[in-house]
Amino acid sequence: MTKRLLGYAAFGLLTILVQKFLDNFATIDMVSPQLVVLFVVYIALREGQLFAMEGGFVIGFFHDLLVTHFLGFTAIIGVIAGFVAGFFYKESDIELAAKTFSFAWISAISVLISELAVMPIIASGELNFLYVFLKFTIGTTAYTSVFAMVIVFINGNKSRYV
Amino acid sequence: MFKWVSEFFHLAKNYIIFALLLILSFFLISTNNNAHTRGLQTVGLVTTSYIEAGVDEIINYFGLISKNEELRKENAQLVDLTSRIHRALEENEQLRAMLKLRDEKPAPLLPANVVGRASEGGRYFITLDVGESDGVSPGDPVVTGSGLVGTVTATSANFCLVRTLLDSDSRIAARLMKASADGIIVAGEDGNLIMKNVSRRYDVSNGEIVETSSLSSLVPPGIEIGVVAEAIDETGNIFKQIKVEPAVDFSSISVAFVMQYSSSNEARDLQGKGTSGNLKNSAGK
Repeated sequence: MTKRLLGYAAFGLLTILVQKFLDNFATIDMVSPQLVVLFVVYIALREGQLFAMEGGFVIGFFHDLLVTHFLGFTAIIGVIAGFVAGFFYKESDIELAAKTFSFAWISAISVLISELAVMPIIASGELNFLYVFLKFTIGTTAYTSVFAMVIVFINGNKSRYV
Repeated sequence: MFKWVSEFFHLAKNYIIFALLLILSFFLISTNNNAHTRGLQTVGLVTTSYIEAGVDEIINYFGLISKNEELRKENAQLVDLTSRIHRALEENEQLRAMLKLRDEKPAPLLPANVVGRASEGGRYFITLDVGESDGVSPGDPVVTGSGLVGTVTATSANFCLVRTLLDSDSRIAARLMKASADGIIVAGEDGNLIMKNVSRRYDVSNGEIVETSSLSSLVPPGIEIGVVAEAIDETGNIFKQIKVEPAVDFSSISVAFVMQYSSSNEARDLQGKGTSGNLKNSAGK
């Protein structure tokens, strides 16, 4: 278990660094893909809901510390994504996590629900809810889903579980 | 009883932990503007800035031509800005001589490269490669040749974090030059800004220049913020809805200047005393 934890920690750190890189170079009009959520969904499908929520909080916290500089924001997203994706955990399918299209749609649902939950925080300034919903909630969900599809394509095996 | 509680906890364990983690996250959000959190932000800034600066150097190596072109444009804008400032200074000196006011030294400008950006959840920060060792301190305004970028929120030895005008927590006092009306500039939609608290009685036209106000304790007056894109009078609202197009293109900014502006400290202290009710009424003594 310790070895696995260290593996997740290293992979999580790598995800944050890639996310930082994407924020600098792949952000479209303040919308960037949530790689952190993809990582949390992956953990949820491999380890279950509880581990994913805790992992989501920890990686979210470090992501906020190193990338967004807005503590608590990604932590909420991570916890909710872990909670939602945890419902799709099946012990028999843990080896298939991030290898089938299930990963893409579970990620889309998790991002959508977590982004919906943080809508009031984003709209706390002068932005109206419809604008935030269309730009940040739908935009981030679509952008992240594209990355989830790319991950599935890279991992192959898509023909088995379409 | 204990068995029942234990059984309940076992069944609802995930929900209880979910709720606890959410409460903890919301608590973290609520602490974002206090001093301890700024310390944490500085830790995060130090950790990632060196990596960002390294990546930036590699990218710059390959993009020197475009950067050179950008710097030329920036230079042209700065030359224009300098000549305008000179004209304003001459005029100002004449007026000061007339009014016999005391001299104020202009805030020195410190050049810096943008080495990182963070724009998530309505937040918009940039990281610059200058820090405390260069004399930068939290609260310093950041500008380009085009206008105001934002203010420094956290500093480390060699880097600083800048809250831009597009950040949803940004609030800057601004002035409509033609209408001579003061208001507050906040982040708006589609990369625009919104000027709040301007009364409907003012006549505001499109294209009017918006500058920093002398009422601001954060930034010096006279720095361009943008131009009015649209001014709407809504029924039932005593204030105008003013959409401002920012002077700075935040998506492509790669060089900026930190203004080492400190003359406002006294005013800030005074305001702090005034709001906390500690201001001594010397007239009464």
